[in-house]
Amino acid sequence: MPLPGDHPPSESKENSLLRRWTGPLTTDLVQNPGKFGLGRIPERLVPNATTTVVCGFCSTGCGLNVHLRDGEAINLSADTTYPVNLGMACPKGWEALTPLSAPDRATAPLLRDPVAGTETPISWRLAMETFVSRMKAIQQRHGPTSIAFLSTGQMCVEEMALLGGLFKFGMGGLHCDSNTRQCMATSHVAYKESFGFDAPPFTYADFETSDTLVFIGANPCIAHPIMWQRVLRNPNQPQIIVIDPRRTETAMNASLHLPIAPKSDLVFLYGTAQALIERGHVAHEFVRAHTTGFDAFAQFIKPFTRERVLSESGLDGDTFDHWIDLLVRGQRVSLWWTMGVNQGHESTRTAQAIINLALMTGNIGRPGTGANSITGQCNAMGSRLFANVTSLFAGRDFKRETDRAEVAGILDIPTSTIPSRDSWAYDQIVDGIDKGEIRGLWLIATNSAHSWVHQERLQGLFKKLDFLVVQDLYHSIDSARDAHLILPAAGWAEKDGTLVNSERRFGLVKKVRRAPGQALSDFAIFKLVAEAWGCGSLFERWSSPEATFQILKSLSQGRPCDITGIRDYRHLDDSGGIQWPFPEGAPTQADGSPETERRLFGDGRFYTPDGRARFVYENPRPLPEPTCAEYPFVLMTGRGSSAQWHTNTRTGKSDVLRKLYPEHAYVEIHPDDAKALGVGPGEKVEISSRRGSLVVNALITPTVQPRQLFLPMHYDGVNKLTHSSFDAYSRQPNYKHCAVKIRRA
Amino acid sequence: MSVAPSFESGSRPAEPAPPLAKALVAEPVVPLPRSQPLQDVQGFEADAGRSNVSSLIDIYLQEQRQLTAVERFSQRHTSQAEHLQARYYKELLPATAPKPGQQYAFEVDLDRCSGCKGCVSACHSLNGLDDNETWREVGFLVGKEKRPTPKGRRIPLQVETVPAIQTITTACHHCVDPGCLSGCPVLAYEKDPVTGIVSHLDDQCIGCTYCVMKCPYEVPKYSPKRGIVRKCDMCQGRLAVGEAPACVQACPSVAIAIRVVDVEETRHRAVQNEFLPASPDPRITLPTTRYLTKREGLEVDAADRHRVVPQPGHGPLVALLVFTQLAAGGFIAAGLLDSTSPVRPILAAAAWIALQIGLASSVLHLGQPLKAWRGFLGWRRSWLSRELIALSGFAGIASGLTLAVWHERLPLVSGLLAPISPLLQAVANSPLSWWLTGVAGLVGVFSSVMVYVDTHRAFWSLRETSLRFFGSSLALGTTLAWTISHLTQGSASNTLAKVLLILGTIRLLNAATLLRARPDSSLAKTVTLHLHHFGRTTLAWLVCWMVGGLLAPLAALGGHASAATCLLAFVALLMGDLLERRLFFTTVSSIKMPGGTI
Repeated sequence: MPLPGDHPPSESKENSLLRRWTGPLTTDLVQNPGKFGLGRIPERLVPNATTTVVCGFCSTGCGLNVHLRDGEAINLSADTTYPVNLGMACPKGWEALTPLSAPDRATAPLLRDPVAGTETPISWRLAMETFVSRMKAIQQRHGPTSIAFLSTGQMCVEEMALLGGLFKFGMGGLHCDSNTRQCMATSHVAYKESFGFDAPPFTYADFETSDTLVFIGANPCIAHPIMWQRVLRNPNQPQIIVIDPRRTETAMNASLHLPIAPKSDLVFLYGTAQALIERGHVAHEFVRAHTTGFDAFAQFIKPFTRERVLSESGLDGDTFDHWIDLLVRGQRVSLWWTMGVNQGHESTRTAQAIINLALMTGNIGRPGTGANSITGQCNAMGSRLFANVTSLFAGRDFKRETDRAEVAGILDIPTSTIPSRDSWAYDQIVDGIDKGEIRGLWLIATNSAHSWVHQERLQGLFKKLDFLVVQDLYHSIDSARDAHLILPAAGWAEKDGTLVNSERRFGLVKKVRRAPGQALSDFAIFKLVAEAWGCGSLFERWSSPEATFQILKSLSQGRPCDITGIRDYRHLDDSGGIQWPFPEGAPTQADGSPETERRLFGDGRFYTPDGRARFVYENPRPLPEPTCAEYPFVLMTGRGSSAQWHTNTRTGKSDVLRKLYPEHAYVEIHPDDAKALGVGPGEKVEISSRRGSLVVNALITPTVQPRQLFLPMHYDGVNKLTHSSFDAYSRQPNYKHCAVKIRRA
Repeated sequence: MSVAPSFESGSRPAEPAPPLAKALVAEPVVPLPRSQPLQDVQGFEADAGRSNVSSLIDIYLQEQRQLTAVERFSQRHTSQAEHLQARYYKELLPATAPKPGQQYAFEVDLDRCSGCKGCVSACHSLNGLDDNETWREVGFLVGKEKRPTPKGRRIPLQVETVPAIQTITTACHHCVDPGCLSGCPVLAYEKDPVTGIVSHLDDQCIGCTYCVMKCPYEVPKYSPKRGIVRKCDMCQGRLAVGEAPACVQACPSVAIAIRVVDVEETRHRAVQNEFLPASPDPRITLPTTRYLTKREGLEVDAADRHRVVPQPGHGPLVALLVFTQLAAGGFIAAGLLDSTSPVRPILAAAAWIALQIGLASSVLHLGQPLKAWRGFLGWRRSWLSRELIALSGFAGIASGLTLAVWHERLPLVSGLLAPISPLLQAVANSPLSWWLTGVAGLVGVFSSVMVYVDTHRAFWSLRETSLRFFGSSLALGTTLAWTISHLTQGSASNTLAKVLLILGTIRLLNAATLLRARPDSSLAKTVTLHLHHFGRTTLAWLVCWMVGGLLAPLAALGGHASAATCLLAFVALLMGDLLERRLFFTTVSSIKMPGGTI
């Protein structure tokens, strides 16, 4: 599409004695057609092939178009045709290759003595011998369940599955968990109880088709920018309602912001249901046909009056009424939640209170509706299905004999290898270390020493372990400080595998970079451990990630997450990812791929035995740590910027990303509070809880309410302050409410 | 990509392969706590098992290095010629080329921008910039805005004031009157006559970074690695073939577009100060970017408005300025002396040496010194070109005069120049040549003043900069004359000490006035930098000035005049002026776009 009056770029002018129009410095930036549909790009970055790799940061699951030269990634751009992100990416995605080149990559196994501070690079063989002999010795002395692992939502599905199988069936271990406990456990439990299976019902097209979008404890502008892009594509001029104590970027873009008091959400949601009933806004036909428990629920929420909501949430009556108006008026209401809900002390019931709203108003199964949990990590959803940690493979139950037998049959292993007990959750494993019941710990691609609540306690407990193995991209992560053995892992794009995004879409990660030194993919490391442990034969069929994917297909057969219709990796790649379920024989488009956007429950049938969704509810519980005279401020933590990811181990490696977030930890504080403390902008403040204290810069902003503080979670030390309390059902930690005090530092 | 040494099979470090139990004993690299009795340990007994692990390690290490994605997966876009992304940006580009009196401009819809910052990364990746180089930046405005309240369902017009934050994405504003272009001494900037795009000629650039000071928006970025600056060119190569700039292609919120704007309208808007709150005065360069919002009652300020950032010290420029100003003062003082005074030749020589030091050190400032000879090209608009020409002229004239004064006393030169010796003597003795040199020196100092005044920074005002630069000339020139008089004649006129005392007093009073500027004045950050960030340098500077400009002349006037006093005064003032000039650079508060969160 050349423009009228097309003009030659200036570099085509001739050099003269006095003016140098071209030369080596100019050439560095000269663009040429990049081919492969890339448009013009710098000549030195012109690829000779491209391929799509799904991003390995968050659960949006964007397709990144990796530019290859001789098979190796040299650059990337957002994939124009990938159905998730439609040619866009956030800064983390654009910079996804950069952290792979960091100088502190782990390049060889390291044997360390944390006490003496020595470390020695060793061979993989010695690393495996050390791993196996130490872990087995611990098991022999303290019992098979005295070893544990804590892993991640950042690995590929096949790797998670192999790890879960290896640990529970091969190594005789029981207690294991992953950082998805910090992120999605609540949604998992909530869906399982309400729908009969952990099944987020939505597809991203729902962002575009709603007429009313409600974001509860979610800030997609910052945490999921590409999902927000889908909201902006909504042609219906939708009502956007944000329920969040903070006036976030998303709240700024909303038509209505409800700044409820932190953790008044459950009362607020029950009160909302009550108000809707009072207004007669109940989809009785849907409720009758597809749910159970509504009448008891309606009875239960009667005490959640408008007055109670207003007094506990701090909202004014007009605002609350307006919110109810919008819900009543909405024809296609979608309710979206993420960590603001999931990371609370009564989070499962809160998530279910959202689900209840969708069920009672019939806002489910239709385009633009749903009670929709936005996931955190790139493969939290894969973990929920196939990590073999909380549930037996494909959402089965370890405690159910038929499930164990089924899995043993599919995997061709003795049923007796499958434990019949549930694993401890993360916090129970941590307590287990404290009690001396867990002696050997294997940390895989997670940075617990930074991210877990009441950080200093966990850091202390790591020192108690007989054997701590850290398997990670970087030998420098906080958690490696007390490790005895560090195993160098290949990263995203240095290995093959699949990730499952928020809308249940399997996407593909491909090996397009060579890992540095001796780093190996997590898959290869698990295979080595299996072999060294002596249980390699159990996993003979798990010969590669793709072979493992075929095994997972068989494990999914007949389950709600049936993916037997996905042929292989190439099928996934050609289809732009495929959402589960996709059973064999499911309808396809002409080219053999399924419909690009598919949602669940269009037929009103849920995964419970009777096919009906459940209303699940319970009286609110007291706050684990209410504010008091000594600790009068509420502390919330969460994502700080779109350029930071979790504990910043990867995003901190990119110069560009570092430019996009404040270098030093900061706290958001209301101007009135800052004034009362005599703190000026950017000045140092000390925040203390009963567990520790932290000095940060003050960011004075009216977007937080008085007596509330917000700390971005990416800076080390934030979790010195947070409170060790958990939702009773999901055992997800409470990062969103604890009591602190603050003073000038 | 930094890759550790390859450990592919064959090159792996040799290691012993003892049985497991022995291995743990033989390699007590790490005494593991609570070590277990080794005979308890099972597994690994069989040699077969071990060799199996070893061969698997080799296989996996090898597999890890094989990249097969191209062979294994469909190559969907191999024959794709057209830009795939074009489907998303067709409406974000102008339908027609600019007519005369128009140009291209960025348009940013603030109501769509949600703060994802993808534009920064996309620009970086798609333009192949250096690791730490970004041509687009983001900042924040924070404050309040007015919104219709939900209560509005009853009283439709009611509004409430709510907190506001707004991300500001910014790149080059492709100004109607670009500061970078007008400041560049070598014409390394071009404003395209059709599109109005301001582009930079990387191979023409000498790396003087004057454009960095001249641009109110901190757009040109200096790369020490390359010795040049680079900047956004609105992806003009892409625009020329109908492709969108990287940021436009990549914005998920469709908040950035390229539009055709009217130059006269841009000028009018600048005069009305319609650009963006908390950003530099648009009248300086007439930026063309349009920031759109429908939001009302926005009362916002830059999120980093309180942030105080020290600026580069520019050592070579400090030396250039102080020594060339000393030289100008020295020649003027020498000219005022009697033509027969024995002090005059020595003073001229000393001033000449100072001039050479100043000029030579300026070369160290440049990223591409070998291209600096083109520095005169920008003389029509660039004060830096004019400074270069003026100081070169001054150097030429001063060198000629110094040669004329000294030619008879220089062994080799005297023979060579014997034929024109009478002429040179006439030059050396003529008051006209001393006047000419003095005036050339003052023109040089004036052009130096204008270099900084032309950057429109509050601290570098005409008054402040003139006082400092001419002050250096007069004070240092006077002290140099005073010192040399004492050294050569054992005495000096009290007039010099009086002049010095007056100059010293004026300069100290001026410094005191600056440091007592009100906290709400435009100089507040400059004062903070002086007192907090560079407190010791500031103290040293003022002490030097007090010693050299007050105590020494007072001592001299009180009857303690001696060579030592004079020398002390000169050294103290020279040190003081070097410190003062460093602070001149480090404490200037740059005018800029709204910046980061804190």
